[in-house]
Amino acid sequence: MITFARLSEQFYALTAQWGIPWIVPTLVVMGIVVGVIVAYIAVAAMFLIWWERKISAHIQVRFGPMRVGGWHGWAQSIADGIKLLLKEDIIPARADKVVFVLAPMVVFAASLATYVTIPWAPGLIVKDLNIGLLYMVAISSLTVVGIVMAGWSSNNKYATLGAMRSAAQAVSYEVPLVLSLLGPVMLAGTMSMGQLVEAQGGTWFGFLPGWFVFPQAVAFLVYFVCALAECNRLPFDIPEAESELVAGFHVEYSGMRFAIFFLAEYANMVVVAAIATTLFLGGWRGPWLPIPGLPAEVSRGLFSLVWFQVKVYFLIFVMMWLRWTLNRLRVDQLMDFAWKILLPIAFANLIITGLVVTIWK
Amino acid sequence: MDTREAPIPVGTTVMMERTGETMEEMYVNMGPQHPSTHGVLRLMLKLDGEVMTDCIPYVGYLHRCHEKIAENRTYPQVVPYTDRLDYLASMSMNFGYVVAVERLMGQKVPERAEHMRVILAELQRIASHLLWLGTFGLDLGNFTIFIYCFREREMILDLFEAVSGQRLNYSFYRIGGMAFDFPDGWLDNCRAFLEWFKPRIPEYDALVTDNILFQKRLQGVGVLDAKRVVDWGLSGPMLRASGISYDLRRNDPYSIYDRFDFVVPVFDTCDVWARFLVRRQEMLESVKIIEQALDQLPAGEITAKMPKTIKPPAGQVYARTESPRGELGFYLVSDGSPKPYRYKVRSPAFCNLSALPEMMKGYLVADAVAILGSVDIVLGEIDR
Amino acid sequence: MTPDEILEQLKQQFGDALAETEVKGTEVRLTTTPDRGREVCRHLRDLGFEYLNCVSGVDWLTHLEVVYDVSSLRHPNKAHVRVKVNRDNPAVQTVSDLWPAANWHERECYDLFGIRFDGHPDHRRILLPEDWVGYPLRKDYTDERMVPYTDYGMEEKVAKTEAAKGAPKETKAPAAAPPKPSTPAS
Repeated sequence: MITFARLSEQFYALTAQWGIPWIVPTLVVMGIVVGVIVAYIAVAAMFLIWWERKISAHIQVRFGPMRVGGWHGWAQSIADGIKLLLKEDIIPARADKVVFVLAPMVVFAASLATYVTIPWAPGLIVKDLNIGLLYMVAISSLTVVGIVMAGWSSNNKYATLGAMRSAAQAVSYEVPLVLSLLGPVMLAGTMSMGQLVEAQGGTWFGFLPGWFVFPQAVAFLVYFVCALAECNRLPFDIPEAESELVAGFHVEYSGMRFAIFFLAEYANMVVVAAIATTLFLGGWRGPWLPIPGLPAEVSRGLFSLVWFQVKVYFLIFVMMWLRWTLNRLRVDQLMDFAWKILLPIAFANLIITGLVVTIWK
Repeated sequence: MDTREAPIPVGTTVMMERTGETMEEMYVNMGPQHPSTHGVLRLMLKLDGEVMTDCIPYVGYLHRCHEKIAENRTYPQVVPYTDRLDYLASMSMNFGYVVAVERLMGQKVPERAEHMRVILAELQRIASHLLWLGTFGLDLGNFTIFIYCFREREMILDLFEAVSGQRLNYSFYRIGGMAFDFPDGWLDNCRAFLEWFKPRIPEYDALVTDNILFQKRLQGVGVLDAKRVVDWGLSGPMLRASGISYDLRRNDPYSIYDRFDFVVPVFDTCDVWARFLVRRQEMLESVKIIEQALDQLPAGEITAKMPKTIKPPAGQVYARTESPRGELGFYLVSDGSPKPYRYKVRSPAFCNLSALPEMMKGYLVADAVAILGSVDIVLGEIDR
Repeated sequence: MTPDEILEQLKQQFGDALAETEVKGTEVRLTTTPDRGREVCRHLRDLGFEYLNCVSGVDWLTHLEVVYDVSSLRHPNKAHVRVKVNRDNPAVQTVSDLWPAANWHERECYDLFGIRFDGHPDHRRILLPEDWVGYPLRKDYTDERMVPYTDYGMEEKVAKTEAAKGAPKETKAPAAAPPKPSTPAS
């Protein structure tokens, strides 16, 4: 089977034959990977921003962008991006400059690092770590560090309070998130993202696809809610809310730095949707047809790539739908919800899954 | 109340004070420019952690010397100034003023004009409540309800524009009647709007009222029991949300409100949720009143025969009407001249806002926005 | 209780302190002095007038006046109490402990007329800035920033048309802003 791992192995072997030290091909491969992923994130974020505006508009009985670029304003995001690049770079007077500049980078880097173990198609995964899921969850919690850095360095009482709230929210919702993810892990018996998808072959009762969402529906819902909270999306967007008294950690940011925070948020949305797709919706699995002129493997790969994207963007659509329909929770209600409701449900799910798996085996 | 210190000057920026009484007491300033205060209101919140221990409102940023100006204008010339009081319910402000002057003069108004007044005032009530609902939802994070409410409000504004030429400050009522008659087709458009509007409330219900997140934000918050509500002189939906069934259209009828059959919605949980339900129900009741008024609309004059210069006899009157925000009172003193000797506006939002500290004490900072939104203030009439 | 009965009871209680009493519809009107004003108000509150509608000031050139409008939510009667105060040292007792609604009303009265309310818990200006000098709603208030109102000769115009036509014209005297925004203001 053609996999990224095999291709890169062959590339390393080739360059070793030519006597080039190992560091060079490694860097080349890393460079290509980073380039592709950053390009993907950039395009995805632009698309998602446009899509969000369109979805919000249609829910609100209006049109959204219609002019920029002609057809339904598809170039709106590009125009916005150019505008943000041209804005003045303002750093508050007594802000901690180094930390202020680094904070958006940290948030973005944490989001970026999780793209390493996303299984885009069979064999197309940068590195199928055997602790892939653990790695993803762990690295994505580094965004909290970036948020606290942003709030603290802004030298603004409101920003600091907003950052503290955001950190509290992120940390509280991590716990049920991880617990809900353990259900499918137990069913599959592995934390490797690639193998989690492999384990969802087959069918339930002969007609339902073998995805883990069917036995783990509760875990899926818990995970989805926690994912919304991790991305600071409504109804959990206290950290970003303008009309709440404490405005949020990014209140002193403007221009491109602000844009990086939002790029990171959309990148994060893609990641959490990707995790949900991989663990619950069967990842890249889906019906495929052989394309004439291409080997079966490749056409299966292409179809799988498309299926993965479809599932991921469907989940993102649901996230956006919720944002424009629901209102915000109060901070203490948010914490209550995480600790008193989601956590016990996640635990219960874990225990029941464990029992069932043990008895079955 | 005596523990309040000297007022903090407007220029003061970030303030963090450890007074030593409790662990950490902090003053947080909200406004006068802030995405959620409805107008230029400055609130100084005294916080103990996340709990508000006191709230000091500072008003007067929109003071435009309305009462002094009115002393130098003739009675009809004051009408456009009354629009600008509560600019979101201009028809109701006009209504209150002309009722006061007519009471002072003992002037009778033709039947058609009376019906027109009621129709427009009730449409204005719906428009004002829609705006309130939209901005209230927006404060809480629900962006969609804002657009939906404004869609309906635009239809009402189109009706108002057809009848008066203005979208916001209509100056449409005259002492003794109305400025113009309904244009052709207006009555049909009005009925069509009412038919469109009736299924909208269930639509809003699906979005906000039945939404448990919304309910959780509002229930049990900003409670002000019946006794305090009366003591503090609150009126309108604030009163009816605390179990007191008092509506000036029913208890002290003015114009022709005693001819219409409508229910005064009263809820008794005394919290923000009750105020929300009262205003929501009032919109439906207003629809009923408009329909009855449209059915009963007689033909005839739209204004009585008025003298060239309006000179009410010397005397005083305090006339009150039910504006969307509560009891709007006009205290007029006349000395027989064409200009009012003393003109005082008792604005409902002014009195409702004075009780804000009572409503805020003991609740979390995150509730401040919800509580302030439930008072439905318009700074134009608070500051005049 | 009818308004007449209420007035009778008040007269029995306070006698000479009341002046210019009358009953207009459901409203009891009376005038009183600053030293008895608060007691009258308390008595009214005990008679069931638990709702304070309005506290206003009036400048009568010779003296100032504080006007209380109270009503009841249970019976349809209203009361209208006027308290005459002198101009040079205007002071009355506060009623904000009887009706907390008076708190902001009295602050506004102080702000715009300069009438002191003894015993008020938060006696400071409300609408004008803290450092404002003067009491604008008094008739003798002058301010170099005030611009005199010109009605652009409307009264002469009206007199001319009246003389020309002979009969008085309909309805509107110097009219309010016409509805079409394109027409210049009259």
